[in-house]
Amino acid sequence: MAKNSSQEQKAVGGHTPGYPVIKTNGDVLDPITIAGNSENAVVDPVKYLRDFNYGHVTTLPNGTTLREYTIIADDSEIKEVSPGVFYNVWTFNGTIPGPTIRATEGDTIKINFINNGSKPHSIHTHGIHPAEMDGVFDMIGSKGKFTYEFKAEPFGVFPYHCHMTPLEEHITHGLYGVMIIDPKVPRPPADEMVMVMNGYDTDFDTENNFYTVNGIPYYYMHNPVQINKNELVRVYLVNMLEFDPINNFHLHANLFDYYPSGTSKIPVELNDIVTMSQGERGILEFKYKYPGSYMFHAHKTEFAEKGWMGIFQVVNSDSNIGDQSSSTTQQKSELLPNNSTSHNNNNNSSSSSISNANRGI
Amino acid sequence: MNYKINIDSKDVEVDKDQAKEENHKDTKPLRSPSDPLVKVHNSISDSLKDNYHSLDSRREANTNNIGSVVQKPHSYKKRFLSIFLAIIPLIVLGAMIYFLTSPYGQNIISTGIPLPEITIEKIEFHNNQIIAFIRNTGPEEVTISQADVNDRIHSAAIEPSQTLSRLGEARVIIPFLWNPAEPYEVGITTSDGTRFSNTVEAAAPTPIPNINQVTLFAVLGIFVGVIPVLIGLAWYPFMRKITKNQYNFFLSLTAGLLIFLGIEAFLESNEIAAVNLAPVFNGQMLIPVVIISTFLGLYFISEYFIKKAESKQSPNVTSSSNSFENPQTAAAAATKDVNIYKNHVPVSTQGSNYSPHDKDDNRKLVSKTFKDNGTSPRSLNTIQTNNDILKPLAISLMVAIGIGLHNFGEGLAIGAAVLLGEVALSTFLIIGFTIHNTTEGLAIVAPLAKAGKLMIKRLIMLGLIAGIPTIIGTWIGGFIYSPLASVIFLAIGAGAIFQVVYALIVWMSKSFKQTSQKQVVLTSKEEMQNTNVVQTNQKLTNISTNSGLSIIAGFILGMLIMYLTGLFV
Repeated sequence: MAKNSSQEQKAVGGHTPGYPVIKTNGDVLDPITIAGNSENAVVDPVKYLRDFNYGHVTTLPNGTTLREYTIIADDSEIKEVSPGVFYNVWTFNGTIPGPTIRATEGDTIKINFINNGSKPHSIHTHGIHPAEMDGVFDMIGSKGKFTYEFKAEPFGVFPYHCHMTPLEEHITHGLYGVMIIDPKVPRPPADEMVMVMNGYDTDFDTENNFYTVNGIPYYYMHNPVQINKNELVRVYLVNMLEFDPINNFHLHANLFDYYPSGTSKIPVELNDIVTMSQGERGILEFKYKYPGSYMFHAHKTEFAEKGWMGIFQVVNSDSNIGDQSSSTTQQKSELLPNNSTSHNNNNNSSSSSISNANRGI
Repeated sequence: MNYKINIDSKDVEVDKDQAKEENHKDTKPLRSPSDPLVKVHNSISDSLKDNYHSLDSRREANTNNIGSVVQKPHSYKKRFLSIFLAIIPLIVLGAMIYFLTSPYGQNIISTGIPLPEITIEKIEFHNNQIIAFIRNTGPEEVTISQADVNDRIHSAAIEPSQTLSRLGEARVIIPFLWNPAEPYEVGITTSDGTRFSNTVEAAAPTPIPNINQVTLFAVLGIFVGVIPVLIGLAWYPFMRKITKNQYNFFLSLTAGLLIFLGIEAFLESNEIAAVNLAPVFNGQMLIPVVIISTFLGLYFISEYFIKKAESKQSPNVTSSSNSFENPQTAAAAATKDVNIYKNHVPVSTQGSNYSPHDKDDNRKLVSKTFKDNGTSPRSLNTIQTNNDILKPLAISLMVAIGIGLHNFGEGLAIGAAVLLGEVALSTFLIIGFTIHNTTEGLAIVAPLAKAGKLMIKRLIMLGLIAGIPTIIGTWIGGFIYSPLASVIFLAIGAGAIFQVVYALIVWMSKSFKQTSQKQVVLTSKEEMQNTNVVQTNQKLTNISTNSGLSIIAGFILGMLIMYLTGLFV
């Protein structure tokens, strides 16, 4: 940002349309034109969006699929949460949100947890599991390790987060992520993506200064999410916002089927807005009939104007501009920082995430 | 006293006792006097000694001890040594600072993280733009990362740079479609995510210094500042007809008015310092510093030149009245005070020169004049000499300047209020200021009431000195508002006014004394009553009973008038 000041004249308008454009010889403060994808960024939202981690897969003697993940907690790093704004983030595997764990109902999930931070942390997953795997009473101290192992059940979309108190502090600093458990009979093929709604209280006044979807404010405004016309889109939406009791998601020019917590295959409603309290989540399914750009954002407009807004760019499927996701080759991967597999099923082929999940590992 | 400094303690203590004995007895020391230890030790003990008598005696003794050293080089040496000793702590201090800034020192003292601090000093509303003027008032360099309006993030330009050094300034320009008369909060977020904000109560287009705005402010200043003062001057003919008691009444009324204005300026500057000024400037302490400095500075200058002029008894009337025509600015007030005085202390036909060649002569004359003033039993009816018109005119001039400074501050406040959108200038407000400021004209003419005849032109000049700064104030306040400048100007105004009040009280006490000396009747009862107002007054007469009452009544009424007319503002 600062290096821009050497250039002569820059234009500044609003980050949303309609504002007068001014010229300046100084610096530009803009949450959009300055991409938050610097090396210091807390996450790459494009990558995160469709990055599902199926774990290191082996088969147990009884035929059950064992998925092993490694998750490392850290609480020392200062990263860019919004362009030019640096914040002490506490992370699972170095990003906010942490990696998306994905498994199929009935699989055994094994999470090797390493606490690299200075404070005690844990992983508390939502879902059904034994008490000792709940990550609530056994805090893992600094440099400690713990292995969480449980059966993936029931199918649905679940958050996981650190359960060390003060909970608010540990969660708002970034120790959370999403766990998706697919039903044994897969859902219909779709362009699948994860969206985590969160916020950052960078000045510690128990009010969020920034609201985001997938970690960086306004990110999908300048890097729209590309989807295909008439292709089913499935959004795994999780609300991890702290301080504010509710958050919501509003889809423009369309309506979606909504599956609360994703625990049923029958939608409860057709709607263009869903409101969630802290920790709530669900699955949204929709198709766009017309190409073009469509906003999605919090209809709590304050959140929208502090970063929680984005754009779906709907393209004709024949002119399918494959985005970053040409790599569909599925690799065996452990969840390690910088080593997570970029899985993507954005193309219009018949390969679904489910089949990928089952096939690949 | 402890002598364990720099030198092995036992040695020194023994030495010291020895030295003491020897010094006083003037006998041969245990160690040779030329022994460096003894020398150093003696010097140290000398310089540490707080009793000057013993210091001196021992200095002598010491000299004797050293013997061969001649007196003059020795005292030179002494001086050198004392300078050296004075510098030692500074050297140690320098070393300490160097150490603390070194990485090693930083490690030791880095007990906390210095928090950033940004002060939003001013928010302007332009066509489709909000401009915030920010300053880094924190301890370290800061990078600005984001701007918001009403806590909603907006794109913005920041000039000259988003990196602000300590106390550095920047303009944050936010394209924004604002609505007039609505409150707006502008927020600035630094790179560590801390947000700072400031609020404008009601957005109003920021005045741009074009001809219309300049004229508008000038008209405003004329209505608020100049005309009211001139109206007040029209009391002059009336003032000339009044009795002594009434005269005293109006003088004290003036003092009351001025005291009110001074306190008003003080409180206003304090408010700006507390609300608008960044804490780093420590504005509230700056105020007394400026007030007292102004007071003392003006006191010194006016005393010096009044004495000088009085000693001449025949000031120059031939000089032009240039300085009157130029509006009085606060910064130049002190010097102009002098110039105006020189030029316009009038009346006598004798030309005179002001060259300060025979100071001694002056001094004698000064003392003589003062003696005369203090003791000669002249009545008010007879004070028609040069000296007597001179002094009231000088006081009126000082009152005018003081009020001018105050009005300058008032102009700043009005201009800034328009700029900051804090006030909508209504007819009512202008009428209020007009009534309020009319009393200021009265304050200017009151000291002149019993003096010699005054040309109407001079009277108007006095009015302009008091009034025109309002216009300049509104320009500055409206176009280039700075809270720091406002605080300083208001404090200067307050200091000038307090100085004028002081001069007025001294003047009143003198004229009062002159009155009372005519009738030598003592009444201790009234003495009790009046000591508060006129400190120097020891003798009180029957007449002075009334005088005292009218003085007190005038003073209280003066403040009341100001308070009540101030309610219109």
